[in-house]
Amino acid sequence: MTNSLRIAWVAIQELLHEKVSYLLIGFALFSLGMSLVFGQMTYGEQAKLTLDFMLGATQISMLLFAIFMGISLFQKELSMGSISMILSKPISRASFLLGKYLGQVCMQFLITWMMGLMTCLFCLRFGTGSFSAAAVFQTVTLIAWEAAIITAVTYAFAVNSGAVVTSLGAASIFFIGHGRDTVSSNLRETSDLILWNSAKTVLPDLEIFNMKALASYSQSIEWNEFFLASCYGTVCVAFYLALAVLFFSRRDIAT
Amino acid sequence: MSTKVIDISINEVTKEFATGIFKKKLAVDKLTLDIPRGQIVGLLGANGSGKSTTIKMILGFLKPTHGQIFVCDQPAGTRQSRSLIGYLPENPRFQKFLRGEYILNYYGRLYGLGGKQLTQQTDHMLELVGLKHARAERVGGYIKGMTQRLAIAQALMNKPKLLIFDEPMSGLDPLGRMEIRDLIRAIHDGMPDTTIFFSTHILSDVEALCSSVALLKKGVLKTACEINQLMVQDGQFYSIVVTDLNQTLETKYRAEHGATTTSLGLSFNVESVDILTARLTEISRTGGTIVSVNTQRRGLEEILFSDRKYENFQFPRQAAGGA
Repeated sequence: MTNSLRIAWVAIQELLHEKVSYLLIGFALFSLGMSLVFGQMTYGEQAKLTLDFMLGATQISMLLFAIFMGISLFQKELSMGSISMILSKPISRASFLLGKYLGQVCMQFLITWMMGLMTCLFCLRFGTGSFSAAAVFQTVTLIAWEAAIITAVTYAFAVNSGAVVTSLGAASIFFIGHGRDTVSSNLRETSDLILWNSAKTVLPDLEIFNMKALASYSQSIEWNEFFLASCYGTVCVAFYLALAVLFFSRRDIAT
Repeated sequence: MSTKVIDISINEVTKEFATGIFKKKLAVDKLTLDIPRGQIVGLLGANGSGKSTTIKMILGFLKPTHGQIFVCDQPAGTRQSRSLIGYLPENPRFQKFLRGEYILNYYGRLYGLGGKQLTQQTDHMLELVGLKHARAERVGGYIKGMTQRLAIAQALMNKPKLLIFDEPMSGLDPLGRMEIRDLIRAIHDGMPDTTIFFSTHILSDVEALCSSVALLKKGVLKTACEINQLMVQDGQFYSIVVTDLNQTLETKYRAEHGATTTSLGLSFNVESVDILTARLTEISRTGGTIVSVNTQRRGLEEILFSDRKYENFQFPRQAAGGA
């Protein structure tokens, strides 16, 4: 575990020096700014709309961060060949993967909370109407959990495939994760339903982490619900990381 | 040789890569090789001959399709075996924003070092590779030779029993190559029990550094023995210049030895002392004049890459390193 933490710390530094991460943080700030502008265009519902837009922007930014930073952190090591220097040391491949993951997820939580804080500050400064800081905190934390799951999915793809397949795969899991009910209600054939129900067991239900609508009405959820959602997030992360470790331990590293 | 401690034992190892659904490419074919402790062994071969694949199998990055590899009696790829190895990859790269000293500390910690031991070892390694002045600089500002030396230093952090260098001189200018050569020599002198196993396609580096050599060609081991033995057995030949030779012998030597006429007389080479003696007797008996007889040495390149007897050479198992 200590080796994973060492690798995580280098991964955090790497992310801080990564140009793409600046770009994504820039995009997040721009989105927040635009959310603020759009929110002000309405009458009477500024706080609600600003909050709605800002939380949406946070979610999209974190999705992009999870996928692209996941690919960058992991595949850059492979393409640079620096992975061989690390894996020639007496550490397991699982420690390496876990370290990278921990570093990235720590950064993601930090960025999400910072964006949540900015959202709160914007709402306090420009918003009219009610606003709940607890609801914003719960929402952005659940967005961070969702991003943590997508990161684990990204790693599971990245250990076996290239950047394009990985990004498409992770994005697909994100959209399917949010559209499970829609898919279920549109399936009629028994065989399709059986297939879909089997697939659902390994696909995360990301709607559990979606409380943007509640937060925009200043409603928070019960803390035990919040805790359960976090537990569900942990289970999903563990599942996809275990898959990633399994694939990674078995693959040949030719770089 | 059989009484020597073997650091790397490769037994009948084959590695195939899938290149399609039903297509496979053979990278290493039934490789059997033992590397004894304390030697500098060069793994020679052209690009695509299987050198890097062999090294990656020793490190456990690639799993052999068939066969087994042991590193100091531990199965290759296990954490125990990797704790005994220091590895320098071909074209090592580090995160540019990290500083030289930090990198050594980081890799040292991955080897399980800590506290005073880590500090001392970091200082010692920076001193050894001549990077003490650049310890606080970001590696992004290092030139290629400095990066290479830093990479060697990280491989030495655990005082390894086995050092594996993959093309350590690749991409360096002549001065950089000389520095790395000197460094490898210094490492060997300072750690005589450490085996240094390195791959290269530059023969002069092997000739200058190695005590033994193994030659791979298209994944097949062509030869493996001590360089001295190779040079004595196959590197030596005799150059004879004669005049006043009768027509029969001249025709014979032109046909058998490729004799050519030079300003000094008829010149030709023979491979062994027996043939030399026979030819000299022949020449004296028929009234020829021997102008000169010189012992010559072939370069390693000429010996190893000549198409002669090594083409189908089957390497005896215990002969690695010159048994």
